[in-house]
Amino acid sequence: MKKTVLAMLFVSLSLFATNHIIDQKGKTFIPHEISVKPGDRITFLNSDPFAHNAYTDDEDNEFDIGMQSTGTEKSIIVKPGGDFSVECAIHPNMLLEVIMK
Amino acid sequence: MLKKLTVVVFLFSSCVAVLGADEDMSKWLRPSEVPQPKNNKLTPERIELGKLLYFDVRLSKDDTISCATCHHPQHGWTDEVPTSKAVGYDGRVGPRNSPVILNAAYQRHQFWDGRARSLEQQATGPMSADVEMNMPLEELIPKLNKIQGYVALFEKAYPGEGLTKETLAKAVASFERTVLSTESPFDKYARGDKNAISEDAKEGFALFKGKAHCIDCHDGWNFTDGSFQNIGLNDGELQGKELGRYNVKNRGAWYGVFKTPTLRDVTKSYPYFHDGSVKTLEEATVICASGGRYENGVRNKSDAMKDRKLTHEEVAKVVEFMKSLTGPDIDLKIPTKFPQ
Repeated sequence: MKKTVLAMLFVSLSLFATNHIIDQKGKTFIPHEISVKPGDRITFLNSDPFAHNAYTDDEDNEFDIGMQSTGTEKSIIVKPGGDFSVECAIHPNMLLEVIMK
Repeated sequence: MLKKLTVVVFLFSSCVAVLGADEDMSKWLRPSEVPQPKNNKLTPERIELGKLLYFDVRLSKDDTISCATCHHPQHGWTDEVPTSKAVGYDGRVGPRNSPVILNAAYQRHQFWDGRARSLEQQATGPMSADVEMNMPLEELIPKLNKIQGYVALFEKAYPGEGLTKETLAKAVASFERTVLSTESPFDKYARGDKNAISEDAKEGFALFKGKAHCIDCHDGWNFTDGSFQNIGLNDGELQGKELGRYNVKNRGAWYGVFKTPTLRDVTKSYPYFHDGSVKTLEEATVICASGGRYENGVRNKSDAMKDRKLTHEEVAKVVEFMKSLTGPDIDLKIPTKFPQ
């Protein structure tokens, strides 16, 4: 029952979802900090001439987008939870701070 | 007045033309501030203590090996052999080339596979590794606590914190933060001295940033972007023996990848690559700029590894440029007397 309510809440939040575009350019996430809410989409572009691989090991929002080639886009949906950081598995100096509203 | 202005503009334009019209050369110079954690700020006492520990063979099981054995200042902060010193404890040999300590203070990850996220995390790893100093910390800390000279120095460096594995790591890390590259001919060039490097080196720098794509990984003033790459040194079964960062976590992108090393003082840190399999900069450049040692059959090879089709002359110029990244040795007095 509790799970059903949470799922319904998540679906309704998705109706008001925002798509946050994050470019990966010059080995940097642009922008490098965003404010999101559960249900929002984060779309990663890759404008660099080599691959990136965004991921987070955050407990609530764990994801690994996989190898992302030049010129492609991949996205994830934000789940309920706290703030988290996203890194590139290839270029760990790339950091994206995701702040939960 | 107009004539003076014209001359100034002409001189400025000439400098810009030599150094690159749209390039901010300051990005190639070492930042003046060294990163330090809040709980281990650099002090003279901590640095001096760390230096003694770094060169003290008593930190190993049989009193024969110190940190400096495999990361020695006279060998470019490494040891000039392919894989960790063959005179390792009881003659054991490690699987990887000794990484250079130079400028490690600026790196987010330590070790070839990046398994340590700070110098403090890294510092005690080799002490307890059985193919290195083979000295479990549970034995080392009591051993050091019996040396009254060290107990006193730890109290001065870390008042009230004691001689523990934490303060041991902090002290060694403090010394390592002082192992920094000195001013190389390239640095003088980046500061505006157009005669500091040869014409071949200047052309090599252009190739490095352009056709050769070295900058895809060896980016920034330290000539590494801290990235983890599989440069295709092994294929087939061999690649399954050295999994690199994949050992830290089975993440697909980490299969067979290793940290991009700095190119600062690179002429001193041979042999090259994580397995120390390459003796010369020429050979290393050819491998990197031709898509790796193996073109096919390499799982998860970096897509930065492509055949850039460099001529022999172009390879020579890139090497000439890399040679210009070597500065004078650090002014360091190696300790000969240790606390008793």
